[in-house]
Amino acid sequence: MALTTATLVPEGRTEAGRVAGLLSSPWLSFLRRRIISVVVILILLATVTFSLVRLIPGDPGIIIGGTSSTRAEQMAIDHRLGLDQSFLTQYGHYWSNLFHGNLGTSFVTQDPVTRILKQNAGASLQVAGAALLVVLLISIPGGIVLGALTRDQRHRQVENWFTAIASVIGALPELLVATLLAYFFALQLKIFPVGGTGGLTALVLPVVAISLRPIAILLRLVRVETLSALSTDYIRTARSKRLPTRTLYLRHVLPNVVTAALTIGGLLFADLIAGTVIVEAVFARRGLGTTLVNSVLSRDYPVIQGMVLVLGVAVVAANAVVDFLLASLDPRQISR
Amino acid sequence: MIRAFFRSPSGIAGSCGVLLILLDSIFAPIIWGKRAKAFNVLQGDKGPSGKHWLGTDRLGHDIFYQLLVATRLTMEMALGATAIAILVGIPLGAGAALLPQRLRMIALRGLDTLIAFPSLLIAIAFAAVLNPGKTSAVVGVGVGLSFSFGRVASSLTLAIRDREFISAARVVGVGRMRLLVRHVLPNIADSLAIATTVSIAASVVTMAGLSFLGLGVQLPSIDWGRMLTTGVGSFYLTPFAAIGPGVAIALAALAFGFVGEALARASNPVLWANAGGGTSPRSTCDADTERADDPHESDAANVLEVNDLTVSFPIDKRREPIVRGVALDLAPGEMIGIVGESGSGKSLTAMAIAQLIPHPGQVGGRIALNGKDLQRVPLKDVDRTLGTSLAVVFQDPMSSLNPAMKIRNQLIEGARHHRGLSKAEAVLAARRRLREVNLPTPERQLERYPHELSGGQRQRVLIAMGLMNEPSVLIADEPTTALDVTVQAQIMDLLAGINAEHGTAVILISHNLALIAQNCDRVLVMYAGRVVEEMTAEQLKTQALHPYTQALLGAVPDMSQPRAEPLVSIPGQMPDVHSVPAGCAFHTRCALAVERCSIERPPLLLQTDRHRVACWVATGEPSAELPAHASVAAGEAS
Repeated sequence: MALTTATLVPEGRTEAGRVAGLLSSPWLSFLRRRIISVVVILILLATVTFSLVRLIPGDPGIIIGGTSSTRAEQMAIDHRLGLDQSFLTQYGHYWSNLFHGNLGTSFVTQDPVTRILKQNAGASLQVAGAALLVVLLISIPGGIVLGALTRDQRHRQVENWFTAIASVIGALPELLVATLLAYFFALQLKIFPVGGTGGLTALVLPVVAISLRPIAILLRLVRVETLSALSTDYIRTARSKRLPTRTLYLRHVLPNVVTAALTIGGLLFADLIAGTVIVEAVFARRGLGTTLVNSVLSRDYPVIQGMVLVLGVAVVAANAVVDFLLASLDPRQISR
Repeated sequence: MIRAFFRSPSGIAGSCGVLLILLDSIFAPIIWGKRAKAFNVLQGDKGPSGKHWLGTDRLGHDIFYQLLVATRLTMEMALGATAIAILVGIPLGAGAALLPQRLRMIALRGLDTLIAFPSLLIAIAFAAVLNPGKTSAVVGVGVGLSFSFGRVASSLTLAIRDREFISAARVVGVGRMRLLVRHVLPNIADSLAIATTVSIAASVVTMAGLSFLGLGVQLPSIDWGRMLTTGVGSFYLTPFAAIGPGVAIALAALAFGFVGEALARASNPVLWANAGGGTSPRSTCDADTERADDPHESDAANVLEVNDLTVSFPIDKRREPIVRGVALDLAPGEMIGIVGESGSGKSLTAMAIAQLIPHPGQVGGRIALNGKDLQRVPLKDVDRTLGTSLAVVFQDPMSSLNPAMKIRNQLIEGARHHRGLSKAEAVLAARRRLREVNLPTPERQLERYPHELSGGQRQRVLIAMGLMNEPSVLIADEPTTALDVTVQAQIMDLLAGINAEHGTAVILISHNLALIAQNCDRVLVMYAGRVVEEMTAEQLKTQALHPYTQALLGAVPDMSQPRAEPLVSIPGQMPDVHSVPAGCAFHTRCALAVERCSIERPPLLLQTDRHRVACWVATGEPSAELPAHASVAAGEAS
């Protein structure tokens, strides 16, 4: 009986009903599912990072210390890495250290890894973040404009040239682009500094170098998405309302295109992180990439672990943000 | 698919490039191996010359020949990484897709996250564990790329698993392995081929990056990446030492990328549709845009008057009229139906009236809304005139609402723009409209998204949306075709109610004659882009004259008809735009056709009160009277 009366009261009318509605809302279950999966992935990531050192074939002590090192030195390395303890003890230690914000100390500089991270993360994040912004700000409006220009097979010349140019730019390795940029703009024209980490001007060339390829990819995607959005029935409905072109594109086309752009944007951010590693080397910038490469070359395992962990977390976090944005833009995503 | 692939310029260019690269990597080390190894320190770091096309490196190696020879190692590594990616990725993805529901969701989400990890980072991690070098690079890049293959394999497996032919094969008793090889692989081959070429392109670029960082190929072995690294070191002495390998990497990536793209285009022509279709040329009559034979007297009281409406599309570089000389008028509060088979031009007529014909279609003729000739309305006012006096309800309510917008915003935006209502006023109006279309709890519906509503509810929303600006004309284009039979009747009742209560004139487009006869005051029957008969609904039931209308009436299933009798259907097919016959377009399917019907097109002539028909036989003039006219028309037949 109580059940029937409860169903008769319209949901969301009373304060209690509203709270109950919110708690059982699809958003909440969406968030719960996403948080669980992010936590699971982070645990896996930390475990993989932990295993890095343990996966080294042979005796890490010999490999890290070199064949010329004495047995005592090798034992010391094993001890510092905790390799002389049982596997489970090592794993437990690793986690407790993680929770205390302790990532070990560098073999080379003896600095705590966390300090090295702090010193370098900012510079890398600047490049990757600025590049992501540039990529999104150019590709989304640019792709929509190109889509509008080439809709219904108009302006075939524009379409052909654009496709050709975008394919070529999409195939250029960051490495080559960075080098050419350094050559022309820094050495020949002397507009921007050749390298270094200081100031906004030093940021321009690295950002351009890693943005070009993602821009070419995303522009093409957004154009095709715009074309398919423009041919949908709901755009025809919107057209039948005789809204101004601006409203039609901003309110009806854009949100549906942005969802597709963001899905790829998340992947492109990972690409940008990889690109950062390369351009940091080309432009001699300080950053996580340079640190990671140097630590691999000098077999500085605590630093390697720290870098892999942080870069991995950055990728996972970027994906989580994209998921969240997608869900708030396209309500259908929530129920997935 | 193969034809389409080789027809596209990117397919041709890409496959030529790939072929060259493969030939080069097979034969270059045999032919030019010695020349590439020869060095002369005194000739180091020199720019391009006749002897050394791309100059020399620090030790005086010829860069051009080194480049040709290094192709083999570069390709070996890229192909190796891709092979690993396929071997690891496909079982991973296909396996994940075959897991039970819950585990599958987790596995697929995990895969989605793994794809996000750049293969360069994964390769660096591998370099940290193994010794940095060829092996770590190939394995690292391979594993990094395998997740995308896994994703492709998993979604394809999921898509194919439940398809009929797979179940059919299972029922017949085909073994699992055979099933995979004979039935599944051919179906996913396209997508795998695309992923493979794209992956080769990606590995070439990633390997170069690794070599540059010192974590890839180690000297004395050389690949393009290693050469690029060396070249970058002496960039300021001779930039060609870097540009040469850089361009080689870019060209290889481009070649494989082009092949992948051409494959994608060829396998999914719909998505990439922009190739012009090639059909045979044929002649048509250009005198088809003549004025309506029986001009309707202009009546200022009509809400809509359409005269000599033509809609044409370019086909084979010619403009083909698809709707020809349609005339109709609509009195306030009237409900008329336009009926015809698909291809008769009835929907295009409606879209032309609503000015929604997509590019490159062209609309000719005169359309007057509430006495205002749309061609004479200043351009800036056309949108307001149409937006406030005409609304359209489309066929498929499932796809006609914007999925990313709340119902509220979709309802109010037109009223706010055209009538300058405040948000609160517009929302109030929206609630009223939703109540009028019998949607319960309008407040709640307003806050919902389209995917939360059923098809019938969405069609009601669309009708409410059409009513927002209190239009004088509502065009309903097959409004019930996509709905359940029970819902169809409700929607028709709703339209009839709106017509009766608000005095909104309605044009109902349908292929369903019974539906139109029941609901409309007057009926226009269209065939091959023309109106062939126009009459009141009463006349339709008892006095239809045109053989086509009679055939349509015969084709309407009737409850009184004995079950055993086969359903009547009209023999033959509606002619397509290319081949509309001369004379009366229907004569090829008409049982009553006489000679004149194939020569001279019958005009739409007034018979009795409000009854017009275009038929020689029905109007009792089966013999030709004007051979001069006929000879012009006979030209159409060729």
